[in-house]
Amino acid sequence: MPASPAHREAGRGRIAPIAIAVVVLAVLVALGAAVLAFRYPARAARFDVNARILAPLPAPTTRARLTSWNHPDSTGQFTWQLGDTAGTRFSPLGEITSDNVGRLQQTFTFDTGLKRGHEAAPLVVGTTMYITTPWPNDVYALDLAKPGAPIKWHYQPKPLPAAQGVACCDVVNRGAVYGGGKLYFNTLDGQTIALDAATGHEVWKVKLAEINRGETITMAPLLAEGRVLVGTSGGEMGVRGSLTALDAGSGAVVWKAYSTGPDKDVLIGPEFHPPYPAEQGKDLGVSTWNPDGWKIGGGNPWGWISYDPELHLIYYGTGNPGPWNALQRPGDNKWTAGIFARDVRTGQARWFYQSSPHDLFDYDDINESILVDLPIGGALHKVLIHPARTGFLMVIDRETGRVLSADPYSYINSMTGVDLRTGRPTMNPDKLPQSGRVTRDICPAAPGGKDWNPSSFSPLTGLIYIPHNNLCMDEGDVQTNYIAGTPFLGTEARMYAGPGANRGLFTAWDPVARRKVWEIREDLPVWSGALATAGNVVFYGTMDGWFKAVDARDGRLLWKQHLVSGIIGMPMSYRGPDGRQYVAIFAGVGGWAGGIVAGALDPGDPTTALGFVNAMKDLVKRTDAGGRLYVFALPR
Amino acid sequence: MSSLSRARLALLPLALLQLSLLASCGRETRDYRSNMLHAQNRAADFRGNAYHIAQGQRLFGWMNCSGCHSHGGGGMGPPLRDAKWRYGSSMDNIVQTILNGRPNGMPAFRARITEDQAWELAAYVTSLSIRTRKDALSARGEEPANVEPPTLDERKNPRAVSGKQDAAEKKVGTQ
Amino acid sequence: MMRASAPLPSLLALFLGACHGVQTSASGDGTESLRIGNLFGLFLGTTGVVYLIVLVLLAIAIKRGTRHRACGSGLQGEPPSHLENRWRLGLIVFTGATALILLLLSLATFLTDRSIARAAGAPTVEVEVIGHQWWWEVRYRDPVAGRTLHTANELHIPAGLTTQVKLSTSDVIHSLWIPNLAGKQDLIPGRKTDVMLHPLHTGLYRSQCAEFCGMQHARMALDVTVDSPADFARWYDTSLKSPPIPTGGLAYAGFQIFQNRQCASCHNVADTPASGMVAPDLSHIASRRTIAAGTLAMSHANLRSWIADPQTPKPGNQMPKVTLSPAELDALTAYLETLK
Repeated sequence: MPASPAHREAGRGRIAPIAIAVVVLAVLVALGAAVLAFRYPARAARFDVNARILAPLPAPTTRARLTSWNHPDSTGQFTWQLGDTAGTRFSPLGEITSDNVGRLQQTFTFDTGLKRGHEAAPLVVGTTMYITTPWPNDVYALDLAKPGAPIKWHYQPKPLPAAQGVACCDVVNRGAVYGGGKLYFNTLDGQTIALDAATGHEVWKVKLAEINRGETITMAPLLAEGRVLVGTSGGEMGVRGSLTALDAGSGAVVWKAYSTGPDKDVLIGPEFHPPYPAEQGKDLGVSTWNPDGWKIGGGNPWGWISYDPELHLIYYGTGNPGPWNALQRPGDNKWTAGIFARDVRTGQARWFYQSSPHDLFDYDDINESILVDLPIGGALHKVLIHPARTGFLMVIDRETGRVLSADPYSYINSMTGVDLRTGRPTMNPDKLPQSGRVTRDICPAAPGGKDWNPSSFSPLTGLIYIPHNNLCMDEGDVQTNYIAGTPFLGTEARMYAGPGANRGLFTAWDPVARRKVWEIREDLPVWSGALATAGNVVFYGTMDGWFKAVDARDGRLLWKQHLVSGIIGMPMSYRGPDGRQYVAIFAGVGGWAGGIVAGALDPGDPTTALGFVNAMKDLVKRTDAGGRLYVFALPR
Repeated sequence: MSSLSRARLALLPLALLQLSLLASCGRETRDYRSNMLHAQNRAADFRGNAYHIAQGQRLFGWMNCSGCHSHGGGGMGPPLRDAKWRYGSSMDNIVQTILNGRPNGMPAFRARITEDQAWELAAYVTSLSIRTRKDALSARGEEPANVEPPTLDERKNPRAVSGKQDAAEKKVGTQ
Repeated sequence: MMRASAPLPSLLALFLGACHGVQTSASGDGTESLRIGNLFGLFLGTTGVVYLIVLVLLAIAIKRGTRHRACGSGLQGEPPSHLENRWRLGLIVFTGATALILLLLSLATFLTDRSIARAAGAPTVEVEVIGHQWWWEVRYRDPVAGRTLHTANELHIPAGLTTQVKLSTSDVIHSLWIPNLAGKQDLIPGRKTDVMLHPLHTGLYRSQCAEFCGMQHARMALDVTVDSPADFARWYDTSLKSPPIPTGGLAYAGFQIFQNRQCASCHNVADTPASGMVAPDLSHIASRRTIAAGTLAMSHANLRSWIADPQTPKPGNQMPKVTLSPAELDALTAYLETLK
């Protein structure tokens, strides 16, 4: 009932002090909120919640399981970036559990003194920890047996400074591999170096890339059957990709397989039996390109290699074709943006599957392939699980290369599905990039549903833990020019958050039931690797510097710690000389996603860093550049 | 008012127009082969010239500068829109950087472009961050409509990076 | 009448002069231009006849008017009724005839349009033509990507077959017009347009950018060669082959200069490190009829002078003047002349 004028007149005297108080209070609250909002932008808090449960955990009988030959190292050593050659990133150490992880404490830190992206995981062998850094690619050995883990030795390869100028997307390095008393790693300027792990002395050094042609190496080599496997980087510079097998003892080249060109260069011979017709034929690495296009066509295997010792096969992905502008390279552009299976002894290709034929959106196929066995229809299938850049989670028969299933784990509108009869993705005609005009809202964006940062698999839950992106982009093509040693792109992109406004996701996926079990929405792209442990804990980091432990079964946040810089590194776990379980992670934001901080890029230009900066404008306010290794353990 | 003064008054706008036309004479001079004429004041001649800036913008795409430096925001290479210049901000410094390269990754373009083209590139690069006469700036975006043409952008001018200014920028960024 | 007829022969000569040659719309060398030419002829004939009839009637009217005035019957009085009926009938016939003629011309236009569309059919050759300031980039498409062909400023098409020319531009609006074969079609930034070519016989033609596109619009020509299908296939296969790298002598010196100097940053020569993509492909430059999009005829002297200073014959074009010694010029010219 409206008050009469007289009433209001009479009431004014009494109400006034209360009103003033209310107004003052409101102003104070608003000010406080504004200060808080400035320090912690609202969107940061909005997604910082526990996982959304989407499906029940798989029953023990219908769980994906480790391959029969894969016995995780229970001594607690960590000798390869993906933990084992099956690429599971699973630690069999169970001292830290979902019940006690909340008490995790920092035990020591190590500063590299560098302020670029730190993507590598440290390795631990015996009582020594080995650390590789981004350019200038120094290697440190820390003595874990002594308090504070002092430096045992320090190796400086002194790579050419000019290599920084041809390294696409920060001067990162993805770490080393240990085997037979030696440590193998790559430098940005294209050298593979073997060090004596005990002394840090150089055993051999081989140059595999030429920076004047735009070639660099950022990947972590894999050691398999006495061969060190090294792939080139440079998909943005018109580099013809190749994978080289070096003799672990001497560094001599055993074989070298290119990703484009005639069959003899690609090591395609009588053993090659691709399952789909599009890969069958002679010299497709030449005929599926415009003339000469294959010579500058990319396909760099700069990502992860898995190895099946039973089949003697290695599995690795090839990068995007060059240039990005697809109008300048008609054809399927074999053998780029696909997965190769090769005999590790001879290098001969066994099968190939192309995830993105005639790639339009920089969907490199270099992501990890996790080798597991899946119980499907009562029988165990030898498969590889590949969360591809396209946004599809590919389950592929690792003996034949046939696709068993392809389901979106990320939001996709650039493709409508994968035809299981031909293996080919069906393209969405509305999202084709065009010359001189912009195609809007292409999902996933160029970094894909997931980029290089490896997932993890836990045999305890049968789930794959996928750290990934939720990004879309606008893209238009422009004519590009090839000049050796300069970029070869021809695409203008601008990225932004995908549906839901969160830019990252951390997803637990059941590969047997082919569905998400739970999912955590992260505000920023999740650019760190994942690690699952026998204690049912999964570790990952965020780009604003939070190192998180979540429950492997339901994604519940168990523990988190804020680190000095954003996290794009890979967590690892080891057993220390004292018998305790430790967890280590690098904080050091950078990479393609973090270039705005590590490279001090200008967000005023939305095409900066191939359009990624447009999606990361707020990162400068949320983290600083840095390079510090953190090691955590339970209190004694 | 006498008819004479009225006529004079009418002439005034015409005279002004003529003056303004004269003022813009230099901005469009097209030198297809710069030569010794430029030896005296090369930097100024290239910097204030619309034709050279537009040519520089074209070359910025053709020589793949945009692959590393984007449209001035950087990427594989440092940003060019800010006031930080590792190797000096003068036209001469920039031309030297382009022609001879720099040790941390900038490749040398000496055998890839002519010296005149390097000056045109420098004129364009300079116009990204340093105040250039407005009527000489290119209104054309080289990218497919993804970015506003540079003239519509507010240009960052060389400035001492003060905390106050940074805070103000951050504030804008949060919105 | 007498005064008007004096310039007529010269005017006629001018018109007929355009009926022959490499750049005329009156020759009817392609299905489209032929049909359009026929339609134009029909229009010209019909309207010409009507025009003559009107002139004749006008002459009669003037003559009769003078006679009437002379007779004194004048126009003051009412015309006799039989005359009025004749006029009325004449008027009706005239209006009817006009309507009928217009209807027939519309029908002819419609039928021509349909027949051109039908004649085009499914193209056997697909070629992209991209306009640049101020030259033409030409890319032949093939289902086998390895057989796509890249060239510039020359268009080879087979006689008797349909070629679809897809048009786009890298900078401003251009317009492709091969008058001997077909009508104009604009090249518009950010859009795809196309034109169907169906040449009836072999021949050499010239096309000229038909939309003002800047400083050197006038020197943006495209040489069009219509070959027999067999010759076209032969030309295509030859063009797909990479030119051999000279093994020695002056040409080899020129090859070195080409690779190590500014040439290679913009130009492509197949199967060499030079892979520039922003200037005309030079893999087979020596087999072309002209230099710089029809600016100069292909000859040793012209090629050399063009490289020495491209800004004199075509000021403002994007090829810079590269400082080269006379010996270097000789070597470079010798090398380019091997690119057949």
